Amino acid sequence: MATYARPVERLITELSRLPSIGPKSAQRIAFHVVRGRPEEAYGLAEALKEVKDRIRPCKRCFNLTEEEECEICRDSRRDAAVICAVEDPYDIGSIERTGEYRGLYHVLGGSLSPLDGIEPEDLRIAELVERVKGEGTEEIVVATNPNTTGEATAMYIAQEVQELGVRVTVLASGLPVGGDLEYADEVTLGRAFAGRRQL
Amino acid sequence: MSPHIRALRLVNFRNYADATVLLSPGLNVIVGDNAQGKTNLLEAVSFAATGSTPRTSTESEVVRWPAEFARTEMRVVLGDGARGDERAVAVGYAPGQRKRLTVDDVPAESLSSYAAGGAGVRTVTFFPDDLRIVKGAPSDRREYLDGLLSTLRPSYARAVAEYARAVQQRNQLLRRIRDGLSSGKTLQTWDTKVVDLGTRVLQGRAAAVGPLGDFFGSAMRALYGSEKAGMGYSYSAPLEGYCEALTEARDADVERGTTSVGPHRDDLELLLGGMDLTTYGSQGQQRLATLALKFAAREYVRDATGEDPVLLFDDVMSELDGRRREYLAEYFQESTQAVISTTNLEYFEEELLSRSRVIRISGGEISSPADSSGKRDV
Ligand SMILES: Nc1ncnc2c1ncn2[C@@H]1O[C@H](COP(=O)(O)OP(=O)(O)O)[C@@H](O)[C@H]1O
Ligand SMILES: [Mg+2]
Ligand SMILES: [Zn+2]
Repeated sequence: MATYARPVERLITELSRLPSIGPKSAQRIAFHVVRGRPEEAYGLAEALKEVKDRIRPCKRCFNLTEEEECEICRDSRRDAAVICAVEDPYDIGSIERTGEYRGLYHVLGGSLSPLDGIEPEDLRIAELVERVKGEGTEEIVVATNPNTTGEATAMYIAQEVQELGVRVTVLASGLPVGGDLEYADEVTLGRAFAGRRQL
Repeated sequence: MSPHIRALRLVNFRNYADATVLLSPGLNVIVGDNAQGKTNLLEAVSFAATGSTPRTSTESEVVRWPAEFARTEMRVVLGDGARGDERAVAVGYAPGQRKRLTVDDVPAESLSSYAAGGAGVRTVTFFPDDLRIVKGAPSDRREYLDGLLSTLRPSYARAVAEYARAVQQRNQLLRRIRDGLSSGKTLQTWDTKVVDLGTRVLQGRAAAVGPLGDFFGSAMRALYGSEKAGMGYSYSAPLEGYCEALTEARDADVERGTTSVGPHRDDLELLLGGMDLTTYGSQGQQRLATLALKFAAREYVRDATGEDPVLLFDDVMSELDGRRREYLAEYFQESTQAVISTTNLEYFEEELLSRSRVIRISGGEISSPADSSGKRDV
């Protein structure tokens, strides 16, 4: 049911594919773009294109980067003996903002969830195990989301590296349970980090 | 005195467009013909106090047709009720959106955790459909037990919800293994998770059944007679040995695609003179047992918190004989606060009514003698 000119309809359709944007918001944003100055729209389009052209996963930790390796992996001041495993790249930003953590990261790409058909092979768990073997890692901090799937993922990782003599810790509670790391405020997350415990 | 409700305002709730009702400590009787809104009003009191309805799982039903949102506002009196010790608790609800809960205009996380902090009201409700706790499936009885414990301990509520999610995950994994979609490498992980959460649920229930069964026994003695009544808990796998039982059931579970042991397969047995009321109880015995379960819940809450919950009982008198009606009326009158509905005021003694508040309902409009001026007090 096309109500608007085809390009406008197309924009609305594309926008409503985005997370947390419903049909109404999509329409509002589309008309904002239609009414706005051309430079603004071209700027947005270029930013979208640039991100897709230039950004790729870091070949060591799978954080997002423009280079082979991300800035964190290349930073020699960071403690390479500790790896913090997170579900998604944006969790790194949340943890970095706490200022509590100086080690490296590993982006798993999600959490174990049979209901979503996600098996260990669908995550970068084998890559993590390889890193531990190759980098002489002393501690893995598993910072998956504090919900059922995140916790199961932490337990599975602990089991996978059991023989490697690496310490596995998880964040202390204090995080809103059932929630997403993404939404935790810095203070809470900082405290949780300070009180991480052995798994 | 335990926390109780002084006033309640309903906006777009069921058949109420905008109505205010004042409530007293002790007995409040809602009277009206059929289909006028008695049950709806009791439901609203519960909604206002807990932020959810005990009556239906389709919550959007409570929004008055064709409005888009429902709202309840209540005044809770804490402690000994100087006006300064009042809280204004509001629940705003639009289907599909997060509920808005406020306490004195400050957003609150959830009303049950608020009540757990000692500043809200707890409720024990009785609706005629509750007969299914005694008569129905094991899940109805588990829901009774889990519901009661959840209002008392948010951590238990969380364990129950997370346990259910972990079992769902395990079930899906079992099916994926059966269908060759998963190597099953993570089964141990999910088993550990399920046992970990299931143990918390089992411990909570195990600790509750003893005292709750005693309260049930005394309530049945008062309501039914001298035959000894009690509760038993029937385990699909006992606490010690739970982990082993789950491991042992693996192959069969993979074949069936479901988890066959754990608290989600247990039952609460209701016994009268050693007889299982669910299977063998007469209609009359089952009705009284349902009431006794609610009385037991009240005692349990009182025992655990030191505070008397507000009793919300729908149409409870019509099925009872004169002696039991009299007993119930006194029971309610002596509680901190009870709100009871009836079609017939004659079920209550004249003298008792003179000590109670009578609320008349007609077509979603409320009038009660003490505040018939229509003045808004909320
Ligand atoms: N969401 C709703 N919007 C408007 N009316 C409703 C809604 N839900 C129920 N009702 C009406 O409420 C009335 C029943 O009220 P109820 O409290 O069950 O009656 P009773 O006094 O017999 O307990 C019915 O007339 C029904 O149509
Ligand atoms: Mg009714
Ligand atoms: Zn990196």
